[in-house]
Amino acid sequence: MLTLYRPGTGWVHRAPAGPKALVLLLVVLGLSLLPSGYAAAIACGAVVVLGYLVTGLGLRELARQIVAVRWVVVITLGAQLIFLQTEPAVANTSRVLATLLIAALLVLTTRIGDLLDAVERALRPLARLGADPARVALVLAVAITTVPVLVRLAAGVREAQRVRGAGAGLVSFVIPFLVVSLKHADDLGEALTARGVR
Amino acid sequence: MSILLDTVCVRLGERLALEGVSLHLDQQRIAVIGANGSGKSTFARLLGGLVTAESGTVSVLGLDPARQARELRRRVGVIFSNPDAQIIMPTVAEDVAFSLRGDRLPRAEVARRVAAALEEFGLDELADRAAHDLSGGQKQLLALCGAMIRRPALVIADEPTAYLDARNSRLIARHLLGEASAGTTASTAHRLVLVTHDLALAARCDVAVLFDDGRLVAAGAPGDVIDRYETSLQC
Repeated sequence: MLTLYRPGTGWVHRAPAGPKALVLLLVVLGLSLLPSGYAAAIACGAVVVLGYLVTGLGLRELARQIVAVRWVVVITLGAQLIFLQTEPAVANTSRVLATLLIAALLVLTTRIGDLLDAVERALRPLARLGADPARVALVLAVAITTVPVLVRLAAGVREAQRVRGAGAGLVSFVIPFLVVSLKHADDLGEALTARGVR
Repeated sequence: MSILLDTVCVRLGERLALEGVSLHLDQQRIAVIGANGSGKSTFARLLGGLVTAESGTVSVLGLDPARQARELRRRVGVIFSNPDAQIIMPTVAEDVAFSLRGDRLPRAEVARRVAAALEEFGLDELADRAAHDLSGGQKQLLALCGAMIRRPALVIADEPTAYLDARNSRLIARHLLGEASAGTTASTAHRLVLVTHDLALAARCDVAVLFDDGRLVAAGAPGDVIDRYETSLQC
């Protein structure tokens, strides 16, 4: 989700984010309404393959996305095989996998900025109830951007502990990580203010 | 008139970070030097409207940073030493475009200005890259690009080269000092307040001010002020 966007010039890339999200949502809903049989699994596979070919992303990108969610597939299929027959378990897992891969299609072909604009537009009716759509979109953007920073800060804390001979411990990790994270939040707040965000 | 301070005091918690500072600066490029904790960064934040004075009067580009903060931020760009904390949007182009968000410009105009600014700062080939995957120097260039795209009248840079290698430091310095902007669109002649520990960089400015323990101890020709600072460092 963080760095998924793949530049492209096809019509799916150029389509506006809001309607594109709506169409993909309808596709997912359509797949979820199919009866739980092998035919549903085949339909899910066909729709997903078609989607990745039409967008120009290709089967290699599709394979990369499947590898990324492999544990979701293993856990979903494994849990269902305990309680269900093989056919419904495979069909249900195919639907879950198709949903994830179709959702990935949206972020693979849409810039985060355009997605956030779409979120802002979708939330605009809530402005009458006192919500601030621009602020909600900004919070989402900052949250998405901050995840890799927090990952790096966590790695820095672990590294600092290792070079000083400290063993791995939850408390000894959490406190310094919280401190550096709060410092980052403080700096980010100042940068937002400097860039004209109230 | 660019910057005018009259007996300004700034308190950060219990500590008096600036004490009785009076200053009148009209030069294009102003270097701010001094030891860690001397009040340099507080001075920069005061000018950018990020901290407020406890007493005294402050005027930046004819505006009061405390009362006219919104107007001031339209005309002032701020760069910090840590570029990680300045990146708001996930990709390079989106982060630069974020600076224009409040201007309600047409999409095509935003795209045109972002493309021109990225090209000027040599980031055009990285437009769709995740901003946090960039190197430290590229991130600082991105932060500078994000500030400069708004064509600010004044740029305040707080130790912008602190984390950079020699090559990237030179690149950032050239952009800040206006030496890289000839024939380009995004950077017109801006005023600069440059907080720095790099005395060679400070020497390239038009005037330098020296802080020590929250007080202004010297202001004048960079060579003289740097000499005074270096003398104070000798134990």
